[in-house]
Amino acid sequence: MSSMPTEEQKAAVTKIPLVLNDRPLSWITDKVSSVVEERTPFWWWVSFMVTSVIAAFGLFCIGYQISTGVGVWGENHPNGWAWDITNFVFWIGIGHAGTLISAILFLTRQKWRTAVNRSAEAMTLFAVVCAGIFPGIHVGRVWMAWFLAPVPNSNGIWPNFRSPLLWDVFAVSTYFTVSVLFWYTGLVPDLATLRDRTNSRFKKFLYGTFALGWRGSNRHWRHYEMAYLILAGISTPLVLSVHSVVSFDFATSILPGWHTTIFPPYFVAGAIFGGFAMVLTILLPARLIYPQLKDVITLQHVDKMAKIICLTGSIVGYAYLMELFIAWYSTNPFEKFTFFHSRFNWDGTGYYQWAYGCMMFCNVVSPQVFWFKWCRNNLWVVFGICMLVNAGMWFERFVIICTSLSQDFIPSSWHIYHPTWVEQGTFLGTFGIFLSLFLLFMRFLPMIAMSEVKIVLPEADPHHHPHDEEAHH
Amino acid sequence: MKKIFQHPPEPVNGKKYWRSLDEIAGTPEFRDRLKREFPAGADEFEAGGVSRRSFIKLMGASTALAGLSLSACRRPEKHLVPFTKSAEWEIPGKPLFYATSMPHRKGAQPLVVTTVDGRPIKIEGNPGHPASMGTTSLFAQSSILDMYDPDRARLFRERGLESDSTKFDAYLTQLTGELGANGGDGLAFLLEENNSPTRERLRQAVIAKYPKAVWAVYEPLGNDAVVQANKDAYGDDIKVTPKFDDADVILSLDSDFLNFEEGSVEMIRGFSKRRRVGRPEDGKPDMNRLYVVENRYTITGGMADHRMRLPVSQIGAFAVALAEKIGVDSALDASLKQLAGTPSFDGQWLAEMAKDLQSAKGRSLVLVGARQPEWVQLLVGAINAALGNLGKTLVGTASDVKPSLKISDLSLLIQNKQVTTLFIFGGNPVYNAPADLDWATLQKSVPAVIRVGLHEDETSNRALWQVPGTHYLETWSDGRASDGSYVSVQPMILPLFGGWSELDILARLLGQPKPEGPELVQDTFKLLAKPADFKSAWNIFLHDGFLKDSQLNESALTFNAAAAAKFIETNSSNPAAGNSYEIVFIGDSKMDDGRYANNGWLQELPEPITKLTWDNAALVSVATAAELGMDVKDHLGKQDFDTLEIKIDEKRSIEIPVLIAPGHADNSITIPLGYGRVFNGNIAKGAGVNVYPLRTTAQTYFAIGPKTMVKRTGNQYRLAITQDHHSMEGRAIVREATLDTYKETPDFPKKMWMDAEILREKGPDNPFNDGSNASLYRHPPLDAPNQWGMTIDLNTCTGCNACVIACQSENNIPIVGKEQVVNGRAMHWIRNDRYYASVDEHDPDPEMVMQPMMCQQCENAPCETVCPVNATVHSTDGLNVMAYNRCIGTRYCANNCPFKVRRFNFFDYQQRPLDKLKLGPLTEKGSPDTLKMQKNPNVTVRMRGVMEKCTFCVQRIQEAKIAQKVKAGASDDVRVPTDSFQVACQQACPAEAIVFGDIKDPKSKVSLLKAQEKNYRLLEYLNVNTRVSYLARLRNPNPAMPDAAKSAAFEKGLIHTEEGGKA
Repeated sequence: MSSMPTEEQKAAVTKIPLVLNDRPLSWITDKVSSVVEERTPFWWWVSFMVTSVIAAFGLFCIGYQISTGVGVWGENHPNGWAWDITNFVFWIGIGHAGTLISAILFLTRQKWRTAVNRSAEAMTLFAVVCAGIFPGIHVGRVWMAWFLAPVPNSNGIWPNFRSPLLWDVFAVSTYFTVSVLFWYTGLVPDLATLRDRTNSRFKKFLYGTFALGWRGSNRHWRHYEMAYLILAGISTPLVLSVHSVVSFDFATSILPGWHTTIFPPYFVAGAIFGGFAMVLTILLPARLIYPQLKDVITLQHVDKMAKIICLTGSIVGYAYLMELFIAWYSTNPFEKFTFFHSRFNWDGTGYYQWAYGCMMFCNVVSPQVFWFKWCRNNLWVVFGICMLVNAGMWFERFVIICTSLSQDFIPSSWHIYHPTWVEQGTFLGTFGIFLSLFLLFMRFLPMIAMSEVKIVLPEADPHHHPHDEEAHH
Repeated sequence: MKKIFQHPPEPVNGKKYWRSLDEIAGTPEFRDRLKREFPAGADEFEAGGVSRRSFIKLMGASTALAGLSLSACRRPEKHLVPFTKSAEWEIPGKPLFYATSMPHRKGAQPLVVTTVDGRPIKIEGNPGHPASMGTTSLFAQSSILDMYDPDRARLFRERGLESDSTKFDAYLTQLTGELGANGGDGLAFLLEENNSPTRERLRQAVIAKYPKAVWAVYEPLGNDAVVQANKDAYGDDIKVTPKFDDADVILSLDSDFLNFEEGSVEMIRGFSKRRRVGRPEDGKPDMNRLYVVENRYTITGGMADHRMRLPVSQIGAFAVALAEKIGVDSALDASLKQLAGTPSFDGQWLAEMAKDLQSAKGRSLVLVGARQPEWVQLLVGAINAALGNLGKTLVGTASDVKPSLKISDLSLLIQNKQVTTLFIFGGNPVYNAPADLDWATLQKSVPAVIRVGLHEDETSNRALWQVPGTHYLETWSDGRASDGSYVSVQPMILPLFGGWSELDILARLLGQPKPEGPELVQDTFKLLAKPADFKSAWNIFLHDGFLKDSQLNESALTFNAAAAAKFIETNSSNPAAGNSYEIVFIGDSKMDDGRYANNGWLQELPEPITKLTWDNAALVSVATAAELGMDVKDHLGKQDFDTLEIKIDEKRSIEIPVLIAPGHADNSITIPLGYGRVFNGNIAKGAGVNVYPLRTTAQTYFAIGPKTMVKRTGNQYRLAITQDHHSMEGRAIVREATLDTYKETPDFPKKMWMDAEILREKGPDNPFNDGSNASLYRHPPLDAPNQWGMTIDLNTCTGCNACVIACQSENNIPIVGKEQVVNGRAMHWIRNDRYYASVDEHDPDPEMVMQPMMCQQCENAPCETVCPVNATVHSTDGLNVMAYNRCIGTRYCANNCPFKVRRFNFFDYQQRPLDKLKLGPLTEKGSPDTLKMQKNPNVTVRMRGVMEKCTFCVQRIQEAKIAQKVKAGASDDVRVPTDSFQVACQQACPAEAIVFGDIKDPKSKVSLLKAQEKNYRLLEYLNVNTRVSYLARLRNPNPAMPDAAKSAAFEKGLIHTEEGGKA
């Protein structure tokens, strides 16, 4: 007979439970549903008012720009893109974290994903909505943006399938469609739960309609599992492909600083990096506001997500440094100039070095603190670093776009870009839209995937006998 | 098989009101339609037993046919209505061309004007005229917009109140009576300079009729000193014209002869002819050599092989030293001794240059700017005489315009109350008369001022009668071109606003009726040409635009050294270069003397050297700027600039923004005239600072004062500059070498910088590139019978910007206003890039090069692959084609263009007021009628949100192709003949630097140029395969000169296979 393991040894090999404090299944249902079923708290109204006003201001800025012209922004010759595409890539990148958590972590059987995947997926959807605004409105003639769709038209020609912008159209619309389907599929059992719990006829009708007649039968669950798996399978390549396609907007052009094959993995890593930071930015306050959820969204989850941030941040940092190296190694004078004058430079001859500095500090230096466990476990540090990462990721896209455009091949056309209040207002407005949508989501839909969390509880395992634990040894 | 629909006849007004579907369905017409449209379905319907699905299908289609939806979705009805009474010979939409000329103080410019539907739309040079040979200046190109200026004077005003032409006519009749009685006592005329023989003839008649009348001519940028000097040196009224054909060595002392200020297109043409260099095998390339001494960079200075920067007030001293070195007529020895002082310039530079001039006796040319005082003009005349240039490179012609009074004389008469009736024709003396005359007060004191002008401007404000003037495109007149030939001024359209020309008024004062047509000119023609058959001679004259063999005869030039010496002894002043600043007044390259202030094209045109738009600025050197306490560091993106207060005395001071100008002389401040006008011109409002208050009769062109008269105010002013950066950053974009290097290595541009590493031939090291167009994407085959290409000769391009305005005029390119230019949104399709180049970054004497840049029409266009909607595609004849109606404006094409030649319509520039663009839909939509009239009907006017760029004038290409197809008829011969048409920029260029044509034909002009070894393409390594290529710039330095080593060092830095030196 082997010797009895010590308490420390036991502790070392005992997995930290995904849901703390041995919560039973019904507790999950009660606590998560309670967020939706309670009366709308006062703080929610206040926040929603604020975010709605910001969103409305954003919509006003958009309306102003569409009715008056792209000239109300700061774009000029040669800076044809600036904040508009920066924001587009920023938002679409953020969305990737949600899909990764939902799909890739599902396929790799990472059970801890269940506490955060619903919110992350919702965040993806709202981020894609915000992202999708920009390609739509940034064009000079928005009322003709439908030319991008491959439908019969009086010009008698198809769109240009060689153009990365068109690939974007397909990629983003596919991404949105699949994400909606995936998210909705996962929602169905939880909507049914809410339908069954509520006493209000109106709510029963609404939840019931969207629950599509879910009965929780074996057949339903089997179909559910199949659909979920298939959608996860479709979503997984999208995590890699969508942002790669977005990176092709730059990589397939000829501009120095854009024309580089490192972009697809660089962008995808950056997307996941920024996305996870945004997930944490949303969830950490949610934990504070709904303390009952602390047992489900545990420190473990935060720890794991911080580790992912550290990993992807390191990949992004490596990519930045590799870009600098290759710019030097290539001896291409345009490439060298873009990197060692426009971006990484102390002699003040360029204009955007400050942005490059922000980018480097926020993206390369700051996530490295997550090597230290106490940093990962200190929620204030985590929140702070996540905000830095969010900002850093925005700066990364801004630096890529504006430095390459403002100082390119022929020096006579060099010109600096300055944003105007309209594009700043539009960007702010998208945050308003994003947060408004998220607040609505929090209010009306279960922000944790109840059914999925229950699946990973020890109770859900049919072979689980709680008293066996002690009896075994 | 294509379905052929038999649509039922549309009801007259498409709408049809109905109370129920049944009502419609029940009518027999409806059933009929149904039967015709859906033969089977109709039966089904009538049978009654129709399924729910088919019912909906049928009803949906049928109600649409019944006019419910079809007519509601119809495009709004618009009407194309032809003229019932059109201009003679007009075919709607097809152009007619008429010859005319543009009157100018330096000589009329022969033109051919394109008219469509009875109105002029584009100005070109007269290809038949030996002087212009079809090219135009910048001012001629933009003058069409002046005619269509919506702010033009439209009303007759008597004492400021609205009147009409009948009342004015009555006034003239009354005046004629009064003046006839007293012999014209108190009658005075103040006019602009014009060598029109008809005006001269009428002038003589007027003076004959009113002997006491006074005739004064004033041009703010006149050349009184030159005229006077020529009179003293060569005798009465001789005009001296340089002939560049035979000049091997040229020295310019403050003479910007390549700019339109000094002459017109003939100078550029003549100079370029000797500047162009063919292949070395064609014989010794006898390129001329240009030395320039000036205070600021001019386009002439940019072309120089050797340049010295020297304050304008020191040019005289330079001329003195040069005269001594050359050894002029001994009569001048005394004056020279008197004037000799310590030179402030490099003596060796002058010595070597003088040696060069002497080695080319009779084949050299020394030019001096009109700005210089008379004694300097005389000295230079002596120098030319000593060099044997008179009669060879300098020819004299007798002027047939009698001298007139100056404005200073006229003002004396006014002060003495000797003028009661003053006619002011054109000009703007209240704005631009010398400040010491206080013309505004003087004019107010004249009882009757009749002001005839294109605008109600500063001068009209104090007039008894304000009469709308006519533009030359609306006037019958004549003139003499720079070679003296008699040219016609023929109207293209009746006066738009019922104006009167000066000839009309002079005729009325002579008691003649107001001319209906060309009667006055015909009378002059009869006198000059003495034709046997008047009618046909007159028609030929109008058709050609000029009278053959009517050039004024050459007068022999004998320099009167004694007279010159006498003048110089008493009138020269040689200020020592000491602790003082000089203020130099220059005519602006765009505004001229201010007459074009309301011309939007010219305001928005970047000034060739500073690239400044919509304003004027003082120019100072780096050293002077540092002295004044300015920040001399170059910042990308700088928009706000310091202002200087220049205070010559208590009454004369201005505040003007200041720019640091590389290559500017120290202690010299250049300020351009022509800005700061105050009148109801929408374009001119707020544009620049009026510098005329500083100008006096004594100090017309430059003023010297203590350094304390200039100081920084501490204020800042925003300037709209189109080019932010002036270094090539070591990139060989403009490629140049010395003539010697070219002789050794004719293909030097192909060996420069990154191009040296491009493997051009297939070989063991290079198995993939066989020189053919390697690309990842399939492109349309370039198999049309014509393939379009273009070369630009950097050796002759001066950067004058005539091409920019020609393009703007031809292609309906909008102006965007100052604020938008500050934001970097100028819309010019072609731009002139100006770079300063030097080996040492802080060299105060950099070189300057110009490079016109337009869409390079790349065969592997990076813009084409990235447009998501296929709005920009490639044509089979090699053009990168832009489809405005397909463009949604993603701007990816502009981002991907390495040359950044694409222009985006950020606002509705054509439809919205330029000062209210940001208010968008809240402003009034629409453009003034006259501006719409100027637009070229063959070119789409682009709306906002659409990208545009140079199209190689595709409308002209298409016209040529159509004409050829019509000619070919049933045959296959659709190839447009070689060199049978020109694009707008090519047609305007006075230096013939731009050559466009068919590169498929090896004998076309453009193919021959592209075959030259010094032909190169930009950014070749990107494999974009541009159809536009450049002929590299050559300089012809004198190896003995002290700065020759600099050119050599500079060139070495670039012609290498490794990375070039920093420029």
